Amino acid sequence: MLNYTLRRLFTVIPILLVLIIFSFYLMRLAPGGPFTSERPLPAAVMANVLERYGLDEPLHVQLWTYIKNIVFHFDFGPSFSQKDRTVNDVIAQGFPVTLTYGFWSAVFVLVCGVPLGVIAALRHNSFWDYTMTGLAIFSQIFPNFVLAPLMVLLFTLSWGLLPGGGWNGGQWQYVIMPAVALGTSYMAGVARLTRGSMLEVLGSPFIRTARAKGLPERTIIIRHALKPALLPTLTYMGPVFVYMITGSVFIDVFFSTGGIGQDFIDGAYSRDYSILLGLAILYSVLTFTLTLLLDLLYAWIDPKVRSNM
Amino acid sequence: MTPHPKPPLLSVRNLSIRFRTGDGMVHAVNDVSFDITRGQKLAVVGESGSGKSQIALSIMGLLARNAQAEGEILFDGSNLLKLPTSELNNIRAREIGIIFQDPMSSLNPYMTIERQLGEIVELHEGASRSTARKRALEVMDAVRIPDARNRLKSYAHEFSGGMRQRVVIAMALMCQPKLILADEPTTALDVTVQAQIMQLLDDIQRDLGTSIVLITHDLGLVAGFCEDTLVLYGGRIMEQAPTLEIFEKPGHPYTRGLLRAVPNIGDPAAKLLAIPGSPPNQRRAIASCPFHPRCVDAVTDCAEKLPQLDGGNSKRACLRPVEELT
Ligand SMILES: Nc1ncnc2c1ncn2[C@@H]1O[C@H](COP(=O)(O)OP(=O)(O)OP(=O)(O)O)[C@@H](O)[C@H]1O
Ligand code: SF4
Ligand SMILES: [Mg+2]
Repeated sequence: MLNYTLRRLFTVIPILLVLIIFSFYLMRLAPGGPFTSERPLPAAVMANVLERYGLDEPLHVQLWTYIKNIVFHFDFGPSFSQKDRTVNDVIAQGFPVTLTYGFWSAVFVLVCGVPLGVIAALRHNSFWDYTMTGLAIFSQIFPNFVLAPLMVLLFTLSWGLLPGGGWNGGQWQYVIMPAVALGTSYMAGVARLTRGSMLEVLGSPFIRTARAKGLPERTIIIRHALKPALLPTLTYMGPVFVYMITGSVFIDVFFSTGGIGQDFIDGAYSRDYSILLGLAILYSVLTFTLTLLLDLLYAWIDPKVRSNM
Repeated sequence: MTPHPKPPLLSVRNLSIRFRTGDGMVHAVNDVSFDITRGQKLAVVGESGSGKSQIALSIMGLLARNAQAEGEILFDGSNLLKLPTSELNNIRAREIGIIFQDPMSSLNPYMTIERQLGEIVELHEGASRSTARKRALEVMDAVRIPDARNRLKSYAHEFSGGMRQRVVIAMALMCQPKLILADEPTTALDVTVQAQIMQLLDDIQRDLGTSIVLITHDLGLVAGFCEDTLVLYGGRIMEQAPTLEIFEKPGHPYTRGLLRAVPNIGDPAAKLLAIPGSPPNQRRAIASCPFHPRCVDAVTDCAEKLPQLDGGNSKRACLRPVEELT
C-alpha cells in the first residue's frame, strides 16, 4: 500500500509539470494582458512595468523562472493585479475560508445524506421512503443560486437568526448558510445514491447468508451492508469534495465570504495570470491528493481492490 | 426400510409457497409434506424451477418479500412459518444450518473468513473473539481447508471455488446444528471436488449425527448418499421413497423419465433436462396431474384429476397403478 502511494505520488510530478506548461501558454495566448487598458500606458512606463514583472522576457524563460521559483522557494510569484500581494498571500487568505465552509458542507452532505438514504432503503416503499425520495429529487433540482437567496430571506431578513454574509474569522454563524446552501443538492444526491445501493446490497445473497446466521437486522445493516452500500457514495463524493473545498464562485460572491472563488473571478477579469495559474495548480494538487485518499479508502473497504495494489 | 420409530426432527405439513408478481401469482410449491428424522439424509430432486430452493428458504424463514407461505413447518414444537424473526434467529445457524447454492456470492466479499465464521458463535454462544477464532480454526480443519491458520484473515475472493464451498459448509457447522439444508452444494464444482464435498457431508453426518437435506438436480449424486429421496415436479411431490427403491423400481412416470435421462448413474455431468417437453406453467393453480403434458403414460383422466401422494414407506402421486406403467 505504501508502495502504491509512493508510485502514485511520483506519477503526479510529470502530470503537474505538463499542466503548468499547458496552462501557462494557454493563458498567454488569450488576447490582452494584465496591463492592457482602454487608455494605453505610455510606452516607457509600459516597458518599465513589463520588466518589473519579467514579462519582457521570452515566454520559455518566463516559464522556467516560474517553475524554478515554485520548486525552490514555493513562491508562485507576485499578483499582477493586486499591488504588493503575492499569489501565496492571496491563496493563504482565501483558501482557509473555502476550506472551512467546504469541509463543513461535506460533513453536512454525509451526515444527513447517508442516514436519510439508509432509512429510506430500510423503509422501502413506505411513507418515509416516498417523502425522502420526493425531497431528494426536489432539492437536487433546486440550484444553490435559488436556495441561497431563499435562506437569506428566511434566516436573515425574516427571522434575524443568521448573518446574511461576511466571514468574521469563520464563526459558526457565518459558516452555516454557505455550507448548507452549497451542500443541499449534493446531500440529496448522496441520499438517493445511498438508498439505491443499500437496497441493492440488502437484496444480495451474502446478506441472505447473514440472515441465515440469525444475526439481528441492525447488526446485518451495520456490519454487513453499510460498507458495500457506501462505495458508490464514496466515488460520487470524491470530485464533489474537491469542488466544495475549492470554493464555489457563486457562494463566495453571494455571501461575500472572501473565499478563493472570488479571487478566481477577479483574476479572470483582470488577466492576472499568476493568480489563475496558482489557483489552477492548487486545484490540481487538491484533486490529485483527494483522489489518492479516496482510492486508499476504497482499498481499505474493498479487499479485492487492495490485493490489486 | 423400517418405519421411523423416532418422532421427526422437522415436519413439513401441506406447505404451499406462492409469489405475487407483476403478472399474477406464481405457484412455486404446492401442498408439500414430508418429515426428517434425526440423522436422516434426505434427497430432494427435481428440475430447475421445481421449488427445491424455496422449500429450504421457507424452513429458514428467508423467503423473498413477495412470497406467501401456507401450511406448517414444525420444529421443536413450534411452527417456523409463524415464528417472529427474533425467535427464528435463535434457530437459524444454531439448530438449522443452510449451505447456499452459490458459494461465490453467498460469502461477504468485504469481511475476513475468520469474522464471517466467528460471528456465528459469538452471537449464539456468547463466545469471545479468541474462542470464536479457535472454533473457526477447528471447523476449517474439519472441512479440510488446508493451512487454515494462515487463511483466517483471507477474503472470499482469495479462495478457489472448492475452498469457498468448504467455507460455506464450515459456516453451517459452526454451531453444530441438528439439521443442515444443503442446496446444491456441489453444482459449481468439478467432479473430483464434488466427490470430496459429498464425502465431507457424509462424514459430518456420521460423526455428529446431523440430519441432512440434500437438494440437487443430479440423481447421480443422490445414489450413494441419501437413504431417502423425494422427487419434485412443478412444486409438487411426485414420489417419495427409499433411494434404492427409486432407482430399482421407480413408481412414477416422471422418476422413470429422469432415470432414463441419466445415461450413466454416477456420472455427475448427466443432468435431468432430457425429458421431452418443458416444465409446467406455474401461473395458475392446477387441478390435473402437473406432469401429464409430458407423461408417456397419461390417460384422459390425468388432465382432469389431481393425483394425491399415497402409500406407506414408498409414496407416489400417480393415477395409474405401477403395474400399468411402461
Ligand atoms: N421472488 C420470486 N418471485 C417470483 N417467483 C419466484 C421468486 N423466487 C422464486 N420464484 C419462482 O419459484 C419457482 C421455484 O424456484 P426455486 O428457486 O425453488 O427452484 P429450484 O428448484 O431451486 O431450481 P434451481 O435448480 O434452478 O435452483 C421458480 O419457478 C421461480 O421462478
Ligand atoms: S397421473 Fe397420469 S399424467 Fe400424471 S404421472 Fe400418472 S400417468 Fe402420468
Ligand atoms: Mg435452487
